[in-house]
Amino acid sequence: MATVTLKDVVKRYGAVEVVHGINLDIAHNEFVVLVGPSGCGKSTTLRMIAGLEEISDGDILIGDQVVNQLPPRKRNISMVFQNYALYPHMTVSENLGFSLKIASRSKEEIEAAVQDAADILGLDELLERTPAELSGGQRQRVAMGRAIVRHPDVFLFDEPLSNLDAKLRTQMRVEIKKLHAKVKTTIVYVTHDQVEAMTLADRIVIMKDGHIVQIGTPLEVFERPVDTFVAGFIGSPPMNLIDGTIKNDTVVFSDGRSVPVPPDFSGKVVDGRRVVFGFRADVLMPKGHTLAESGVLHDLDLTIDLAEPLGSESILLSSFGGKDIQARMHNPRPVKGGEVLSCELHLEKCHLFDAETGQSLRG
Amino acid sequence: MTRLRRTIRENAVPFALISPAVLIILMVVLLPLIFSFYTSFSNYRLIRPDSLWDWVGLRNYKRIMGDWDFWVAFGRTVLFLTVALNLELLFGLGLALLVNKITWGQRTMRTIMMFPMMFSPILVGFQFKYLFNDTIGLVNNGLQSLGLTHEAIPFLVDRWLAFFSIAFAEIWMSTSIFAILILAGLFALPKDPIEAARVDGCSNWQVFKHITLPFLMPFIYIAMAIRSLDVARAFDIVDVMTGGGPAGRTELLWTLISRTAYDDARMGRANAMSYVAILLSIFFTWFFFNKLMEARKHLGAF
Amino acid sequence: MPSRTKTVLIWIVTFFIMLIICMPGLWIILSAFRTNGEILTKPAIWIPQNLTLDNFRAIFGFGENVVGIPVASYFRNSLVISITSTALALLIGMTGGYAFARYSFPGKKPAFLWLMLSRTVPGIALSLPIFIIWSRLGIIDTKFGVILVFTAINVPFTVWLTEGFFRQVPNDLNEAAQIDGCTRWQAFWKIEFPLAKSGIASAGIFAFLTSWNEYALASQLTRSTDSKTLPVGLMDFTAQFTIDWAGMCAMAVIIIIPALILTFLVQKHLIAGLTFGGVKG
Ligand SMILES: Nc1ncnc2c1ncn2[C@@H]1O[C@H](COP(=O)(O)OP(=O)(O)OP(=O)(O)O)[C@@H](O)[C@H]1O
Ligand SMILES: [Mg+2]
Repeated sequence: MATVTLKDVVKRYGAVEVVHGINLDIAHNEFVVLVGPSGCGKSTTLRMIAGLEEISDGDILIGDQVVNQLPPRKRNISMVFQNYALYPHMTVSENLGFSLKIASRSKEEIEAAVQDAADILGLDELLERTPAELSGGQRQRVAMGRAIVRHPDVFLFDEPLSNLDAKLRTQMRVEIKKLHAKVKTTIVYVTHDQVEAMTLADRIVIMKDGHIVQIGTPLEVFERPVDTFVAGFIGSPPMNLIDGTIKNDTVVFSDGRSVPVPPDFSGKVVDGRRVVFGFRADVLMPKGHTLAESGVLHDLDLTIDLAEPLGSESILLSSFGGKDIQARMHNPRPVKGGEVLSCELHLEKCHLFDAETGQSLRG
Repeated sequence: MTRLRRTIRENAVPFALISPAVLIILMVVLLPLIFSFYTSFSNYRLIRPDSLWDWVGLRNYKRIMGDWDFWVAFGRTVLFLTVALNLELLFGLGLALLVNKITWGQRTMRTIMMFPMMFSPILVGFQFKYLFNDTIGLVNNGLQSLGLTHEAIPFLVDRWLAFFSIAFAEIWMSTSIFAILILAGLFALPKDPIEAARVDGCSNWQVFKHITLPFLMPFIYIAMAIRSLDVARAFDIVDVMTGGGPAGRTELLWTLISRTAYDDARMGRANAMSYVAILLSIFFTWFFFNKLMEARKHLGAF
Repeated sequence: MPSRTKTVLIWIVTFFIMLIICMPGLWIILSAFRTNGEILTKPAIWIPQNLTLDNFRAIFGFGENVVGIPVASYFRNSLVISITSTALALLIGMTGGYAFARYSFPGKKPAFLWLMLSRTVPGIALSLPIFIIWSRLGIIDTKFGVILVFTAINVPFTVWLTEGFFRQVPNDLNEAAQIDGCTRWQAFWKIEFPLAKSGIASAGIFAFLTSWNEYALASQLTRSTDSKTLPVGLMDFTAQFTIDWAGMCAMAVIIIIPALILTFLVQKHLIAGLTFGGVKG
């Protein structure tokens, strides 16, 4: 059973603390994605799990063994690096078989394992080439092959797709997902791309400044962000966030307009409280261009500044409550700048956050 | 104390790895230098070992400050280095640009260019002593056979001719360091800025001055830094070509030190002179090292 | 200027420069095969009348007119001293270079700088105290004493070169190897060393040439047949009553040959090492 457990893990470089006591339980065969802005400590966390970075405090367990002092080779993990880290002086098959060779397995065994990995990843024709003779996507695949040959307990990925172009990235994303379905191993995956996180993860871990902000399934973090940071980070386009004040069960904005307090939050806020009102573009739609949904609706008139047609929908840019906001128009028709559209807001999908701390007021 | 111990424990591996290098340098360079620093304040003479304890304070330094021969040698050394380094840079740049232009046979030429670098300085000295010899030298023989002169030209005897001959040998030996490093820079030169400049209407000369040369500067300074590490190799050349003579006419700082120490056996005074020579070397290196660091920053712009 | 004329001009200039570079060496080599008598003749004889190997025989102690200079011993000394000090410098320099390339530790920058600065001390200035200390230690005029000094003067540059080469090997590879089951030591020998090998070899060749060519220190630290190196031995000729130019030329050729062979071997890597190490800080 390859669970991974982090208990109050701290990382310091000299006097600077970059990871501040994080706790995380990863289940057997779970696909966990660490996501967060650049410099938030994702790689550091991953490298501590790998044993490439010493931990300054706390415990890391793989299975039920504390691995704090174990060197990487004793942890039975594999890792795919951002730049692939293929050995340039070895052929693809030598790269794939290297770990088994170090473990002094028999030649036949190595060959069989290499063949296996090559089959899974479609590397058959490339086995005799050197890394220099491969394309980016092929290198990526070899790096993954090298990781699976050993049947490790845990796979670690550090931004494995960030060096690929957009199209290849989508394609490899699917392959990684398929790979996980095939080899069924615990995976810890680092990325700063929230789309990757949403599509791949069983659970997402959102980090900021060396802290874990939220852990949850993709849907959970999307629908119930714990604070404005997660709300702004997950989802595209980012959530609209507008400052306002509570008055008689409505949120009043700086331009005088207002919306009712969303049903989930009624009774949780008192008059005069300063809040941030949040909603995604998807829940604000012009009438006649909505998805057939029912619920608590609130009508708004919006002056559209600009429409960005995307084909099956358009993103409408407007301003509301003193902020630039985005709304979504399904089955779009051409919209001119300056046109006033009557829209409806799905109130039960809106959020309130504390103005000072940014924490969700859901309670 | 505990902090020191912790630092050592946390960095045990790198400290262990660099310790052999540090130790041997301490033993063979630093320790002797400290010792010679001490002797530069003593009246130490090789033939009288007990004179090592004969503390004379700053006398050696005072003496050399007032020693006309020393200052002449010092001035000549600085002049020599300035002339040699500048000409080496100029020729090296020219040579690199030239070889860069040539497409056919370029590899061969690059290899040939490296030969002088691999020559022992003592060989370079001997080679030019032989070539510039007034009776049997190739140069004199050649000039006489062509009927350009009848008298032998005293290349190694006349004050300025000897200076010229030695500088020639030095430049012959070291130009290639510049040429090779600058050539490496030319190979690494990005094409985009040059093309952009051409599109902007720059002439060849303007492209060279505003794009190529700034890009080459770090390479030039590396060459300078490497060169300044062993400017004192010129000692070998001078020692074999003229030995500082005749009558001290080609005396450089290093030959003067050698004579004072080993011929006159005045170790104390020679060590005092050494410190002047060491400071000179360090100054040159430090100067170019700083320039290199500066130029590196500019390189980031490309 | 029409491009034809320009090309021709470039070729002429190039030819002239190559002549200046090659001529002195070639002339020495030619002279090594001529008789001393012919060299001394006035007016000069340009076309050699008879080429002989006598000079080489003479300096190695065969043939009728034996030169009183034990070139064979010097050659052996040079080889022993250069090879040993190169091996040591490489070992010490490589470990140091690896540490500078791979680890960060307090005092790293100044340590590196001081290591490099130690190389700037002029040989002659260093020779004075070493001469005295080595005499006291009883290792003056021994191969061991010279090896020690040559190792030390080669270490800084070796550190510099190898540091550059190791830095070009991405640290990822060493980490990947550790994850693949290597110890740090295995990761070094199986991954990083093979990738930096050619660079390390050229650092070695450079160290060898420095030792092989060194004169300022060797001339003071060696006195006897048992420890004198070739460059020091070359000066033996000048001490004689009449200069044996032909013999000197023959000896010069002996000194040049290893240098020329090694030049061919290193040229590519050396340039790469020098520039990458220096420019891409
Ligand atoms: N060797 C080090 N010494 C000091 N600080 C470091 C070191 N390595 C990383 N850091 C710091 O630790 C923090 C976390 O770095 P980390 O590499 O984990 O970020 P990341 O989340 O992976 O970012 P990115 O998305 O850019 O890869 C950063 O602020 C970084 O500056
Ligand atoms: Mg990272």
